[in-house]
Amino acid sequence: MSTAPKDFVGSHKQKDWPKHLIICAFIIIELFPLYMMFQVSFKDNASFLRNPWLPSPPFSVVETRLAVDGTETVKTRVADWSEAFGSANPSDPAVKSAEKSFDLSVYKAKNWNFGLKLIGPYIANTVFVAVTGTFFTLTLAILGAYFFARYKMPLSGVFWSAFIVLMLMPGVANIVPLFSLLKDMSLLNTLWALIIVGVAGGQVFNIFVLRNFIEDLPKDLFEAAEMDGASHLAQIRNVVIPMSGSIIGTLAILAFLGKWNDFLLPLIILRDKELFTLGVGLIYLDGEYVKQWGQMMAAYFIASIPLIVIFLFCMRLFVRGLSAGAVKG
Amino acid sequence: MAFPISRQKALREWKLYFLIVPSLLLVCTFSYFPAASAIYHSFFDWAGGETKQLIGLDNFKRAFGDQVLWGSFKTVSILIVFNLFKMIPSIAMAVMIHRVKSDRWQYFYRVMLVVPMIVPSLVTLFIWKFFFDPNMGVLNKILDFTGIKSLLVSLDQVFGWGLFFENAPIGWLSQPDLILPSLFIWGFPWIGAVGVLIYLAGLQSIGQEIYEAAELDGVGPFKKFLYIELPLILTQVRLSLVLLVIGTLQGYGLQLLLLGEAGGAGGRGMVPGLWMYNKAFVAGEFGYACAVGMILFVFILMLTFLNNKYVRVDK
Repeated sequence: MSTAPKDFVGSHKQKDWPKHLIICAFIIIELFPLYMMFQVSFKDNASFLRNPWLPSPPFSVVETRLAVDGTETVKTRVADWSEAFGSANPSDPAVKSAEKSFDLSVYKAKNWNFGLKLIGPYIANTVFVAVTGTFFTLTLAILGAYFFARYKMPLSGVFWSAFIVLMLMPGVANIVPLFSLLKDMSLLNTLWALIIVGVAGGQVFNIFVLRNFIEDLPKDLFEAAEMDGASHLAQIRNVVIPMSGSIIGTLAILAFLGKWNDFLLPLIILRDKELFTLGVGLIYLDGEYVKQWGQMMAAYFIASIPLIVIFLFCMRLFVRGLSAGAVKG
Repeated sequence: MAFPISRQKALREWKLYFLIVPSLLLVCTFSYFPAASAIYHSFFDWAGGETKQLIGLDNFKRAFGDQVLWGSFKTVSILIVFNLFKMIPSIAMAVMIHRVKSDRWQYFYRVMLVVPMIVPSLVTLFIWKFFFDPNMGVLNKILDFTGIKSLLVSLDQVFGWGLFFENAPIGWLSQPDLILPSLFIWGFPWIGAVGVLIYLAGLQSIGQEIYEAAELDGVGPFKKFLYIELPLILTQVRLSLVLLVIGTLQGYGLQLLLLGEAGGAGGRGMVPGLWMYNKAFVAGEFGYACAVGMILFVFILMLTFLNNKYVRVDK
């Protein structure tokens, strides 16, 4: 983060507001899907079709229709915004009377109940996979990175290239044999398969980043710890982990996000509905239901909530860590 | 750098090897073994079970005559061009945020950029699928609302595309000829939060005196970008370019979810990765899928080498 004053970055002659305007326009478009997701999650299909853009006004209209044979039918619909401040307009000539009333039930909280019931179990599975996976990924990566960073052991060059080569190797051809390997290990259709493959896949990147970081730590700390008779595990616990909290945090967030968003592997591995993670669960829902978009959107929103919580707590780490980690490469 | 260590000391520290063994074992089992197995099985007629039959190079011969496979390579090259174009808004955004004078606003914009990241990428994908829906979808509603649709319809009448009609909703993902345009529109305005933050980090290393000098010489905003800002983020731009090309070449999740296993109407959205997936998990031809995977693998490996040779990414 630069501390230099920004006066000269933008030209003196140039005004600042056009930039603000363009940036804001972009950001608004960028946030538009988020807004739609939230707003539609409170609607049913009918009120979405009447009024797709804005949230519904808190009024409902009861319309009494007179059919040709003299029977009356009563229908309730959500009011339009044009009716919210005036009187109700009948939606077609057959409507005899239209009655507007204040009504909070136009917001379909049911959508959220339904969404939660739909994907709650999937979220539980995903949290289990993501948390366990992230924990083991980082634990093993810290151990591995310590091995590379501490001493130049015989063979460590060979091991290092074995890891680095994988960074260049495309993983796309692996998925078919991986499937049959997991079948042979009878890990198909288990959550542990996802965890273990995720942990294996995360090793290369995390060891790469952590090794560079641990090598930059002051050597005296390790020597002092060694003088005191600390074992290697003790050195990791008392020197490495406290000193590299921020980078471990950033890597943990990235690992968690990766596992949260993964859907290709679960799609191939999982068969039982009870084991579905969010990825497969959402794909399954996408195919299964006659689309009540309100319910779908509520489900989508609920799927984002754990990430929102993480984001709220770690925003600084997120924004800073992503930028800082990028510079180090 | 790690300490060099004498042989005797290394022998005494043999326990250190225990630290690397778990990672090494995992990587060997789940990365190296499948890769070797893919090479091995590409020479077999194999349906994923116990029985397999050695058929030599037949899988590869078949692949070279496979129209769908080569069509999919054509599609993926078009997608790569699209994605290169889609890098521009992120760079522009980073430069604009960087040029904003107040630090506080800069931080605010960064946060606002990261906010969409809280939506799982899969959910973003489904929201876009909803946008593309012909009857309920937001895209068609926007086009109706702004009158762009009638423009498209009149253009259609002039050029005879046969895609847009007055009274019918536009079938973005169901018309074969609209699938590539849909994939182009997908993700508008194409700003990647991670990309912007990485570029911003690069821009931040520009010293103030460079701007002062440029100011005195009367350098305009665009030239400033060309001569000061672009050279400084070139490393990051190259890196994301390389990652993007390789990622697009081997990616197929987007196509699988948006268009289905067969690559959408007329197979227009078929990419090599999806064809491999399709052959393995839909048609059950695992051996052939391995061969397709190997061909794709060779392409990506060649690109990686070319890139290491000509597009240097300095750390």
